[in-house]
This record gives sequence, structure tokens and C-alpha cells, in this order.
Amino acid sequence: MSPRRAAQGGRIDRSGPVRFSFDGHAYTGCAGDSLASALLANGVSLFGRSFKYHRPRGVFAAGVDEPSALVTVLRDGIREPNIPATMLEIYDGLTVESQNRMPSLAFDVGALNQLAGPAIAAGFYYKTFMGPVFGPLKGTRFWMFCERFIRRAAGLGRAGYEKDPARYERMNAFCDVLVVGAGPAGLMAASAAAESGASVILAEQDAITGGSANWSGETIGETPAAEWAAATTDALAGRDNLRILTRTTVWGYYDGNTLAALERVGDHKPASPAGEPKHRHWTIRAKTVILATGALERPIVFPGNDRPGVMLAGAAQRYALEYGVLAGERAVVFTNNDNAYCSAAAMRDAGAEVAAIVDVRREISPAARELARQAGGELLLGHAVVDTEGGKAVTCAKVQPFDTASGTLSGSPKSITADCVLVSGGWSPTIHLASQAGGKPVWDEQQQAFLPPAPAQRWIGAGGLDGATTSEEALRQGWDAGRASVDGPPAPYAAPLVSSLELDARPAPVLEIPGKGKAFVDLQHDVTADDIRLAHREGFVSVEHLKRYTTLGMATDQGKTSNVPGLAIMAAALGKSIPDVGATRFRPPYSPVSIGSLAAERQAEIKPERLTPMHDWHVANGATMYSAGLWFRPMIYGQPGETVEQAYVREARAVREGVGMVDVSTLGKIAVQGPEAAEFLDRVYTNTFSTLPVNKARYGLMLREDGFVLDDGTTWRLGANDFLMTTTTANAGKVMQHLEYLLDVVWPQLRVHLTSVTDQWAGIAVAGPKSRAMLAACVSQTAVDDAALPFMGIVHGRIDDIPVMVCRLSFSGELAYEVYCGAGHGAQLWEALMAAGQPFGMVAYGLEALGTLRIEKGHVTGAEIDGRTTARDLHLDWMLSRKKPFVGSAMMDREGLIQPDRMQLVGLVSLDNRPLNGGGHIVEHGDGEIRDDSLGHITAACYSPARRQYIGLALVRNGKARVGTHAFVSDPMRDRFGPVEIVSHHMYDPQGSRMHG
Amino acid sequence: MADRLSPLEPVYRPGNHGNLAGGAGVVLGERQPGSIVQLAVWSGQERPALAVMLDVTGMRLPDGAGSGSAREDIAAFGFAPGRFLLVSEAEGLADRLRAALSEELGTVTDLSHGRTAFRIAGAKAEWVLAKLFAIDFALAAFPTGAGRSTSHHDIFAQIQRSGPEQFDLYVFRSFARSFWHTLCRAAEETGYEVR
Repeated sequence: MSPRRAAQGGRIDRSGPVRFSFDGHAYTGCAGDSLASALLANGVSLFGRSFKYHRPRGVFAAGVDEPSALVTVLRDGIREPNIPATMLEIYDGLTVESQNRMPSLAFDVGALNQLAGPAIAAGFYYKTFMGPVFGPLKGTRFWMFCERFIRRAAGLGRAGYEKDPARYERMNAFCDVLVVGAGPAGLMAASAAAESGASVILAEQDAITGGSANWSGETIGETPAAEWAAATTDALAGRDNLRILTRTTVWGYYDGNTLAALERVGDHKPASPAGEPKHRHWTIRAKTVILATGALERPIVFPGNDRPGVMLAGAAQRYALEYGVLAGERAVVFTNNDNAYCSAAAMRDAGAEVAAIVDVRREISPAARELARQAGGELLLGHAVVDTEGGKAVTCAKVQPFDTASGTLSGSPKSITADCVLVSGGWSPTIHLASQAGGKPVWDEQQQAFLPPAPAQRWIGAGGLDGATTSEEALRQGWDAGRASVDGPPAPYAAPLVSSLELDARPAPVLEIPGKGKAFVDLQHDVTADDIRLAHREGFVSVEHLKRYTTLGMATDQGKTSNVPGLAIMAAALGKSIPDVGATRFRPPYSPVSIGSLAAERQAEIKPERLTPMHDWHVANGATMYSAGLWFRPMIYGQPGETVEQAYVREARAVREGVGMVDVSTLGKIAVQGPEAAEFLDRVYTNTFSTLPVNKARYGLMLREDGFVLDDGTTWRLGANDFLMTTTTANAGKVMQHLEYLLDVVWPQLRVHLTSVTDQWAGIAVAGPKSRAMLAACVSQTAVDDAALPFMGIVHGRIDDIPVMVCRLSFSGELAYEVYCGAGHGAQLWEALMAAGQPFGMVAYGLEALGTLRIEKGHVTGAEIDGRTTARDLHLDWMLSRKKPFVGSAMMDREGLIQPDRMQLVGLVSLDNRPLNGGGHIVEHGDGEIRDDSLGHITAACYSPARRQYIGLALVRNGKARVGTHAFVSDPMRDRFGPVEIVSHHMYDPQGSRMHG
Repeated sequence: MADRLSPLEPVYRPGNHGNLAGGAGVVLGERQPGSIVQLAVWSGQERPALAVMLDVTGMRLPDGAGSGSAREDIAAFGFAPGRFLLVSEAEGLADRLRAALSEELGTVTDLSHGRTAFRIAGAKAEWVLAKLFAIDFALAAFPTGAGRSTSHHDIFAQIQRSGPEQFDLYVFRSFARSFWHTLCRAAEETGYEVR
């Protein structure tokens, strides 16, 4: 054991060493140690370099409030920076490095920044951003010049570039009562709530429950407080209506009593079992929240207060009692309150020498005086520590008489040799979550601290958070909160006796000792007391502005130790009281949250994949797949050596000359059922569906309320009151929402049900002049000739033993059919059609060929139905019924929607025999100059095997009148300029003789 | 008639997976019921429609939103106002219901191909599902037989508790393979057996 480690006591297990490394040096510690306690036990005092000035820094706190001792954990090739050494549990093989130093922690060239101190004070960035008003580095150029140097010098840890292999998960939890904090109050609250039978979650950010009971040194009931906490926890753990979450920080309190928590599941383990996440994000929805978050000690600000060895008094007590580690061997305790006397006595009991207790007050309680006697050393009342000395660690504290009333020093300083200065400025309730929940914190003059606001949501405070200053009070408040959180009769409270001392809970209102030299308020962001005063002199009067200008409290520790001292200094500068200056509103997160935990299970799959029943066949048969929304669809079935263009031209030509088939299962399909289904369709489509006979389909067009086109598709009448509506793949969800809205809100009296049946049906389009013969060869139980199955007719039959529904309709312009079957039969149907088609030269075709065929034919898709086009723009005005109203009919004839110079659908033919591209613009000049004179843009383009030309569709201003004229394509992004002819969008078989044949 | 193919075929790996230190915490599987049918009822016609359901299926649903009942051969639950999902081992339930239900009461939609049925059972079933869905799976809040409509990001799911430690999930078929991956991944922590 090291001389800094006590032989017994605390939560650590001394039975075997735990090996870890810090900056390449091997160390050992005990199981249960934090990195901070283990390094302190090894005599390490220098933990890192500060943010701006690169000053040497040690460990300042013992918990989540640690501002200085931040380290980077190296694990599995990943760098995880800015982890407080106080929150990191050691394990065998832990590898850690210090931060913000070059080349080493002991010798850091960045420390030269200390010489430039005044130049990089508050507002440094703002002042630098502005730059000179003239010269080569005018304006932001100066910033751009400086940025690379600043970025290298400033900052905290450095993140890596490697992919994080760790797993993160999220969890949804619901409970009657969420207890945040498992100190004495939280344990008591959880016990009281759980006894009533309520479902309870008890969340504790530390590895073990107990909170201050682990280091108060008190006795609760008959046992030491830590043992009481362990026994109480064991009793709770046996209940099946209570879940204890340790290593879990509740970091956000949102509306509706929804709270966010981070559970560090694997950070303390050398290796995680299969499937176990590193971090788990909890979303907890609680009927009632009990906040038992305790209080955080704050320092007194004085020059030299950042030297390694200066530490919060409570932290030193915690190291001594919880970890059996001495923060130093000879301590000076500096305080404005009675509490630090307990810390002094604890240090003495643990084997340290207390050189002096320095108290700004002239009067202290008898109990404190007794503790001082036990601690030994000088008791210097009416004094203050005014400076420290030492290089990378404190060697002595300078002490001087101080008058609390006037805030002035007198006499001359005297030096006291010490290797640690333990400082206490009183305690601030941890009101972060209470503040996040809403409401303004309330200043308490007695405690010199902000107490939580009146609850704006259903939460109850207990313990240190609620101003309790003794464990006895905390236990009672915890019990009361637990009972109040649940229904049921009041339960008698059998208070365990606590051996607390009669200490004076009121700190003196002193949070800064004036003097020369840097006195740090925010240790992590290197904000000094002078920075705050400078901000005040520069005109910052609002505390919110002060915060942003100086960055006080904006570092990863979120100002847990600096908030109240900063406000006190600001208030003094303004000549106001602290409550008049006010507190800033706390926001989530309470402490840093891993991004991985927020992404949680979505890290592996950003989006789910929607697959058609034939997906595996496509992949196995050489299809190049691409995504269409969440769907995956075949682009081409390329053959060896083929380009994409060669492949789709081959496929499209095969359709025009023989027969091809394409997977259309992705089309949106909605079952529209009910006695008023036909009436409903008449209202939502521009054309009439009530006249459609059973077993016939009709092409339909839908408008939005504003008269623009929403979507198109065919709807099949399967029964008198049973329709199968199809939508475009991309718009399926949008159309469903639109229709559901109309039924729910506009026409609730219509008896119509809508059900998504997209996934019920597999769909295969069979197209080409040989398609009928091919189907005739394989479909049984129905004929498919022109009489039995006319254009837009529907028949039911079988292919092999698969029940199918065949509708004769065409997107390609060829004689074509859509064959539907239950999705579970889709793959078999596909293979059956493929086999039956072999004698006819059947070819599977992908989306590129599908696109080519429809471009040749001039059929529109989402590229043209882009939310800005009207039915007239797309030559679909023939579908606008004049006999009935429909959604959009009132608005579709607005002046702006019927102007002849609107962009209208046209066909394009490339005259230089080069490809066109979607997005290219159409202009009237051919000189390649880029002017603001676009006539419109290309929506789709391909090589047309039917026309043996590069063609496209475009939306062109006054396009109908331009048919037959020449124009130019202007596509500067692709450097594509050249002549085109504007033609009718019907570029192939305009009479439709092929598909009606 | 041709067999219905599972969308999970190439990724369905029977056996034990994940962390098996404490044994498999859940059993995962795809069920292949003969019929999955939606019964949608016009407002005010719930009672006579449910009487038809009782006639055809022998299932009596308790009153109340999301209530349901589950047997091994047939299960039914309400998943939205006036909407029920019926799942039967037998094929042809949609036709039988359609024949019995007047159009004045409601509509019947066959979803037997359109939804994929998953079952998760075991002591850790609630834990695994809570990773994916923001609903309360505790027995008190989600009693046996009851059904819920919910979603995991883009994936809509209807869930019925078919036993104290057993849930049946109905997911759109096109999402089934992605959802299976997600479900298996979520169960790795507790260990799982695929049957």
C-alpha cells in the first residue's frame, strides 16, 4: 500500500491490485477506485493542463462536479476525451492519457500562454473575430489566419477519427415514481414509495448507492452510515416493484414528466459480454419524480486557487472516507462555514496532518470548535487564504487577516507549509433538474444558495436539494417525499437516529478573496474573477450575456463549482445582490452525454430496408439495386461488360419487341372499402369512379386542396364497395395521410375504411407485344384475350397453383398487364412467369428501362408531379370532371394556375446526339453563356431505343406553343450545352395503338 | 395452393445466439398463421359486429380500448377505435367473416400476406421490447390479451400480449427482414433462441 492509502476503510477492495496506465506510466489501484482516487493514492498530483493558459491542474472535486482532472480514455482504438477522472472507475488494463499538453504533461510548451494572459482574457474570440478594418488580414481573414493556431492551442481533449465499435442502446421505462439520487434522502424516498406497492425506479449516478452516507462518517441507526445505505439498498433490491439503476445519470427533465438518463453499462469493465451496450440511454416517463440530487460544494475564489493540491474540502473528506486515500499529507483547510471542520477532522482521522483551519468568520459554533480541536493545527478565525505557492503542486498557503463585513485584508500574509489546501465556500443544492423542469430558483440568504423553484411539473424535492443540512433532515424529507408520491394512507415514520453534530448551517457570505494574481472562478474554461469584472466594465449587465461573453459555466462540467461564485462576483461588480442579478436557467444535459447513446440502436441501420417479395431473386440474378425511399428496387439486370445505358436499352428494346417483366410491388396500395367508397373516390379524384364497373380499373388523378396535382395511379373496382387504389411508390404515405385526414375531419359521415395493403400484394407488370400470348400460356381458370380482358379489365385466375388477379393496363405504352398475387407467393409467381416467358424471350427489366419506356410514352411520375404542376401543365386536363366537385376543383382554375406561359410538359430530342440529364435547363441561346433566362428544366432523360435518339421530358415555359421549335440545353454543372428540339411529350405511339391492340 | 414464403427465409437462423451466459433470455420466432384479418366497424356498430366475430371465431372480446383475447389457435385485439386484428391458424378467416358481416356493420380486409407475425417469449421479453417501443410493457399496464399499435421509428407494429411473458408482433411484410435484424440485435444482450 502506498503511504497515501489507509490500511482499511472505504468502499474499495484491497485484496488484489488493479493495473492501469496513465500517460504511459503503469500504476496499480484497488477495485472500487476512481481514476482520481487511484492516482492520488499513487502520489500523482498533476492531472492535466488548463483550457486556455495551459496551467498545471490537479483534481479539484471527487465526483461529477470535477472541472479540472479531465482525461482521455483509449480503448479499442477509440479516443474518448474529457472524462472526469473522478467519474472513471479503474479496471485492469485501463489506459488513459492527460489532455491539452504538448509534448508532455510535465513539460508543456502551451504554458507560454500564461505570459499572454491579458490578451486572451474574456471576449478574446469576439475581439479576434473582428480583425483589423484594413490591410491583408481585414475582417474575417484575420480570424481565418489565426484559427488554425488557436484550435491547436485551445480546447480540451481530442476526439479520434476511428469508427466507434461500441454498442449503444436505448430503453423506454415507465414508472409511478422515479427517484433521482440514492443518497440518504433518495434511499428513504424509494423505500417509502416502494412500500406502497408503486413501481419505482431509483437512479444513482455513482457506482454505488448511498451518496453522502458513504463519506459522512456518521452513524444512522445502530450502524455506520455507509453500512446503513448498503443494507437499505439490499432490502430495496429484493423488491420486484423497484429497479435500481447505478452508474445512471438523469441528465434531462422534459415536459410531461419525461426524463432522460444515461446508464454507463460497460465503462467500468475490461470487456463487455456479447450484446451488452457500453451506454444505455433511458427515456423514463414517471408519474411523479422525487429529486434527491443533493448539494454540491463550491469553492472560495482566491489567487492561486487552481494549483494542484487545492481541492474542495468535501472532496478530500470523500477520498479519505470512501477510498481510504489522503489528498495530501499536510493540509490547510480554508472555509466560510462549519462543514469543512468535519473534513478537517476526517483528514486527521485518516492520518493527515492538519496544519491550520483558516476561517473568514470570527465566530464559529461550539461543535466546529470541538472538531477543530480534534483536527489539531492552528485555528485562524477572521483569516483568509490569499495565495498559494508551488510549481506543479502546492507547497504552501499564504494566509492573512480578513474582515468579512468589509471584504478587505489587513496585516501581512504569512506562509503555512502544506501540500494541499482544502477549500469550502458552502454548499449549493443541485437544482439543475428542478430548474430544467421549469420555474425560477429561489435565493436563500441563510444558506447563501439557490433553492429549487416551486415545482412546475409533478416532482417533489428531498434532502440537500431541498435545503436539508443534516442527514436526519434529509432522511425525514426523503420519507415524506416517498409517501407523498403515492396514494395510500400515511405510514408512520420510524426515524433512524443519526449521530450528527450541531453545526451552524449558515456560511459567511464570502465567495472571493481579493488579491493579485489569477483567481479562477471557472477552472475548466479558465475564467478568472478579473474576466467577470472586465465583462462588467465592457457593459455586460445581464447574467445571460455575462455567461456567453466569458463562457463562464459553459464547459463540460456546466459550471457546477463556478456558478454561485461567478454570480457573487458579478453581483459585487454591479453593486447588486445575488438574487437581483439572478441565475441562468439550467438546460440539459446535467453532465456530458455520449452521442452514441442518443443515436442508440439507429447507429447500425439508419433506415430500415423495405424489400419486395422478389428481392432475393433480383439480387441473385445480377440486379443492381438502388433505394427508392425505404424500398430497394432493381435498377438494371446488367450482363457482363454492359454499361448501365447498354443494359437498360437492351431491356427496354426487349419489351418493345417481345415481352419483359418488372417488379411493381412497391406501388402504394390502399384498400378503400365501405358503402360510400365510390362516393369518396369521386370526391378525391378529379375524374369519376362511381360509374366504374366491377372488375374494371381506371386511371385517376388527385389534386391537393390548392389545385396542384398530388398524385396519380389506377384504382381497381374489386367489388361494389371494395376498391384497390394504387399510388406512386414515393407518395403512398402522403396519399394515405391525405385521405385519412379527409375521412376523419372533413367527411366523418362517410362510411369508408382505408387500409394499407401495399404489403399484401406482390405486383408484376408484364409488358410487350407478346405479353398476351405469354399469359395465355400460363394463366388458368380465366381467359386473357381481348374479349375476356379488355383494356383496363380485371380477371381472376391461377398461375401454377397461385391465385392471381390480372389487370390489363400499361405504363410502358405496350400491350401490358399487371399480375397481382398474395405477397407470400410473389417469389414463386415471379419465377413461374419467368419460366413461362422463356419461349417468348422473357426479360426481367429494371427501373431504368421502366423509366425509358415511360419517357418515350410521355407518362408522368413524381419527377413531373413535383408539387408545382397542375393537371393542365401535364396535359391531363381531360381528367378534370366538370360534372362534380372534387378536392382541388375550387382552386384549380385560379388565374395563376391557368396562365398559358406556365411551365408545361414537353418532349425533348437531343440534336447533337449526346445524352441529356435531369436538372439541365432549357434556354433560347446556344452560346454557352450562363444567363438568368431559363425556360424550364429537364425532368427525365434517356436514350430511346424506339427513336434511336437521346430524348427527355421537360417542364418548359409556354411549352405547348413551343412544340416543333428548337432550343438549347444549358447544364453548367455537367458542362453540357447543345441544341434540342422541343417535341410533343408523346414521343412513341401517340395514338396508343400498341397498348390497345 | 402454393406455400406462403417467409420474408425472413435467408436470415432466419434457428439456434441459440447472443450472450448465453445466463441461458437464452427470450425465444424469438416467426409465426405463420393461416389468416391475419382486419375487422373495421362503423361507429356505433361495435356490439353487433363483435357478436358476428363471436359467431364466426368463438372469440369474445372484453370491452375497452386495446382489449383482446388470445388462444393458441386464434387471437383478436382492438388496435384502434373500431378496428380489430384477428389472427387464426386456419386459412380463409377473411372469407368466413366477410360472408357473415353485413356491410352495414363494417368491413373485412385480408392481410394474411401483408403482415408478418413474430413471437417473443421469455423472462426478458418485456426488457427486449422496451428497447424498441416507447410503450409500457408491464403486465399491469399491458395485460394478457390486450393489443397496442405503436412503431419503432419507421416500422409500424401491432403488438398483442399473448401470455404473461409472451408477445405477438405484427409488422408490415416489406419491413419484416429489417425488423427481424433489429429484434435479434436487441435480444443479443439477454441471449436468444430462434425456433
